[in-house]
Amino acid sequence: MTITPIIGLEVHVELKTKSKMFCGCSATHFQVEPNTHTCPVCLGLPGALPVPNITACQWCIKIGLALNCSVNLETFFERKNYFYPDLPKGYQISQLQKPFSVNGFIDIDGQKIRINRAHMEEDTAKSQHQLVDGKEATLLDFNRSGVPLVEIVSEPDITSAAQAKLYLQKIQQIVRYLQVSDADIEKGSMRCEPTINLKIENNGKTYYTPLVEVKNVASLTGVQNAINFEVKRQTEEFNKTQQTKSAKNKTTRGWDADKSKTFLQRHKEGSSDYRYFPEPDIPPIVFSQKDIDKIKDNLPELPDQKLIRYKSLGLSDYDAMLLTDDYLFSLAFDKITKNNPKIAKSVANLLLGPIKEHLNQVQKDLDVDKINPQYFASVIDAQLSNQISATVAKTIILDSFQTGADPLIIAQDRGLIQVSDTSKLEEIVDKVLKDNPDVVKNYPKNPNIIGFLIGAVMKLSAGSANPQIAKQILEKRLK
Amino acid sequence: MSDLNSLTLFKAKDGLKAKKFSSLELVTDCLSRIKTLQPKLNCFVSIFEKESLDKAKKADLEKPLGGIPIAVKDNFCVEGTKTTASSKLLDNYQAHYSSTFTKRLEDAGAIIIGKTNMDAWAHGSSTETSDYGPTKNPWNTNHLPGGSSGGSASAVSSDQCIVSVGSETAGSIRQPASWCGVAGFKPTYGRCSRYGLIAMKSSTDSPGPIGKTVDDTAYILSLVSGHDPLDATSLDLPPWQPPKSLTNLKGLKIGLPTSYFPSQIQPDTKSAIYNAVKILEKLGAEIVKLDDMMDPKYSIAVYTILQRSEVSSNLSRFDGVRYGKDRSFFGAEAKRRIMLGTYSLSAGYYDAFYLKAQKVRTLICQDFDKQFKKVDAILGPVSPTTALKLGATKDQAMFGELQDMFLEPSSIAGLPGISIPCGFDKTGLPIGLDIIAPQLREDIVYQIAKIFEDNTDYHLSKPKL
Repeated sequence: MTITPIIGLEVHVELKTKSKMFCGCSATHFQVEPNTHTCPVCLGLPGALPVPNITACQWCIKIGLALNCSVNLETFFERKNYFYPDLPKGYQISQLQKPFSVNGFIDIDGQKIRINRAHMEEDTAKSQHQLVDGKEATLLDFNRSGVPLVEIVSEPDITSAAQAKLYLQKIQQIVRYLQVSDADIEKGSMRCEPTINLKIENNGKTYYTPLVEVKNVASLTGVQNAINFEVKRQTEEFNKTQQTKSAKNKTTRGWDADKSKTFLQRHKEGSSDYRYFPEPDIPPIVFSQKDIDKIKDNLPELPDQKLIRYKSLGLSDYDAMLLTDDYLFSLAFDKITKNNPKIAKSVANLLLGPIKEHLNQVQKDLDVDKINPQYFASVIDAQLSNQISATVAKTIILDSFQTGADPLIIAQDRGLIQVSDTSKLEEIVDKVLKDNPDVVKNYPKNPNIIGFLIGAVMKLSAGSANPQIAKQILEKRLK
Repeated sequence: MSDLNSLTLFKAKDGLKAKKFSSLELVTDCLSRIKTLQPKLNCFVSIFEKESLDKAKKADLEKPLGGIPIAVKDNFCVEGTKTTASSKLLDNYQAHYSSTFTKRLEDAGAIIIGKTNMDAWAHGSSTETSDYGPTKNPWNTNHLPGGSSGGSASAVSSDQCIVSVGSETAGSIRQPASWCGVAGFKPTYGRCSRYGLIAMKSSTDSPGPIGKTVDDTAYILSLVSGHDPLDATSLDLPPWQPPKSLTNLKGLKIGLPTSYFPSQIQPDTKSAIYNAVKILEKLGAEIVKLDDMMDPKYSIAVYTILQRSEVSSNLSRFDGVRYGKDRSFFGAEAKRRIMLGTYSLSAGYYDAFYLKAQKVRTLICQDFDKQFKKVDAILGPVSPTTALKLGATKDQAMFGELQDMFLEPSSIAGLPGISIPCGFDKTGLPIGLDIIAPQLREDIVYQIAKIFEDNTDYHLSKPKL
């Protein structure tokens, strides 16, 4: 029996436009006092009308283009009708028949994952279930109501949890490169709903298990775990019931992160039960090919392109990947190496070494404004001309990054400029030899012990000694 | 001076400017007329007595409508006032903001003295479906005023205000204007902003004025029309300005569709319209018979499907979570419309109903394009009959659609049109003439209506109350 998971992903990306999708309210809602960014439109009050945010529409097209989609020049919005307390109009303005962009793909390690569509819609309000005066209550916060949302729907081309994770990371990376969304899963600005079933081949026969859509997955690990759980659960279920996919047995399951399992929420309504019809309040939106070309021409360099370029600059596959993975680091890297591509490798070492380690420790994002290309260039120069050691280079670039001071002045102030002056070094070497008679005695038997002596010289010079020259002097003295 | 409330808008403006009377006197007369007639006609859902008097004292007469009392249909949001669309579901609802239409009127100095009764949610052509009781026709209080803007039309006709505001989805301005013997101007779809108008059928809802003369309505239109950034369907045009009135109609071709005179049309109505045609012909218009115009019966079907579909969605927001009352407060008519609309948008039925209706809508628009190659304007009766008796809507689920059959095609096509008085039936009830023109040609509508009014005195007759 061979089992192949069939996974499709619906990804919702919240755009970080200044205003909401259909009104002028601020689109910021994370950690904002409830119901302060609202107006008649996003509250769905009687008589209020939606006016589409053209920037959001352009950003949706941008996402589509970055996902290799074709763009529909003439599109329209539709109403998706359903009742839910967080949906103030009783319908969500969305797109079904004519999304902004269709038929794209992204490349995951050489495999194409097809994208069905990237369409524009509005977010719902947020329900908060809590006790109010000792009673269970649902509170509604309409700050999120009407925030622009792009829904990216993949074809069911994904075959494993690991691949699903890579797909999501790629989407995240792309929208961050486009600077249209923070795409932060934990904060809810990126949400994903996998639909999973299995292809089971047994004795020359092929079976497909019923479709399951999983909701409430709030992290990348959660997506992986939920998929793995479902693969196992559906396999067991199939072995028990032999039930196969039909038009009527699609279900929705919730993800319980604490128990690490999915649970049945409801049998899925067919999509046409939403009674979609063209939104009469918004005329069709028409773009010219020229408009689209302009958006296309202004697309930034995307991760795949960047990776290739970084490798061509002499970076290792690993370093190139680490830099492209983090949009801010790639920006910093580009800023430093723009006019000085020769130092690319050293820049990568400094960024991915001390600076990334530090930021990981304090759990902060890189502030690209704090990156001074001149400082990086001078530190790398100093290292190449043996004025400073690699260790010192790392120390002072981080100090400089934190304080904004010139790294070489930091080095000078702390006496970290390497001593390549032989007479000065000879003094230090002699002191080390004098202080370590036992080691000196052992040297003829064990020449490797010179490492210890070099270390002692470095220590005594507070790291400023040039280790190469120190070694030469030591060898001379110990002959 | 007494009975200031019976003045036309222009006479009231002139009188105020010449200081013949004050806005306070004008408003007071209207309010006292309302007080007398409210028990008899029930034109208003809300009356703002104190506020109106306060505003009248401070009226800025420099403004185009400074100190002029107007009545507004209760489906327009007016900030801080109860806005119910004549449904008990919104009995406690105070609008948080003002519609663009009424805001422009208030910015022009108008004083909103009350909100007028209507068919609940604008569903109907009788004002009989209002949850606040029916409005009566001032010409005969046993008869209906028409609807859905029945309160607004009846209030103007009975001089309870100087001018009023209605909204039309397919006939809701013109038909009550016709039944009440006043002028009702329905502009091109998109000419006036819908922002703040409680949506009925969003794709044809058109707010517009109801007045005692053609000029009164045209003047209001010039103040409220023009692009509104808050309504994506509002046309990107400056405010409409009425053209010069004409002294003859030479060179103008007016079409008379034979399909607009079916056998069920009331004989008095028919002869009044033919009489109006003769007057216009005498004034120089060339009358062209339109034998190939699409039968309006197709519009009834198209309109019904599209309207119910949009209604079912537009009323979804009244879901019981907010506004204090749940969906059981919808009346029978709203419930019927929600059910039919939900059905026609549902899986498996969408193509047969909604999509097909949209296709026929395109054919209707094309038919008008074809006819307007031959003529400049089209004339017809507003309604097949004069005002029907109270209770006429009972068990008539399609009452409105049949009453408005001559108005549905032009509404579906988004055309401008006006209803003006053109005679009376033998019981003394007014008859309305409908004049329609291509999109954005309010100028043609105005010029024909105006010259007709200048040469007749139907508009001068007043109901005896």
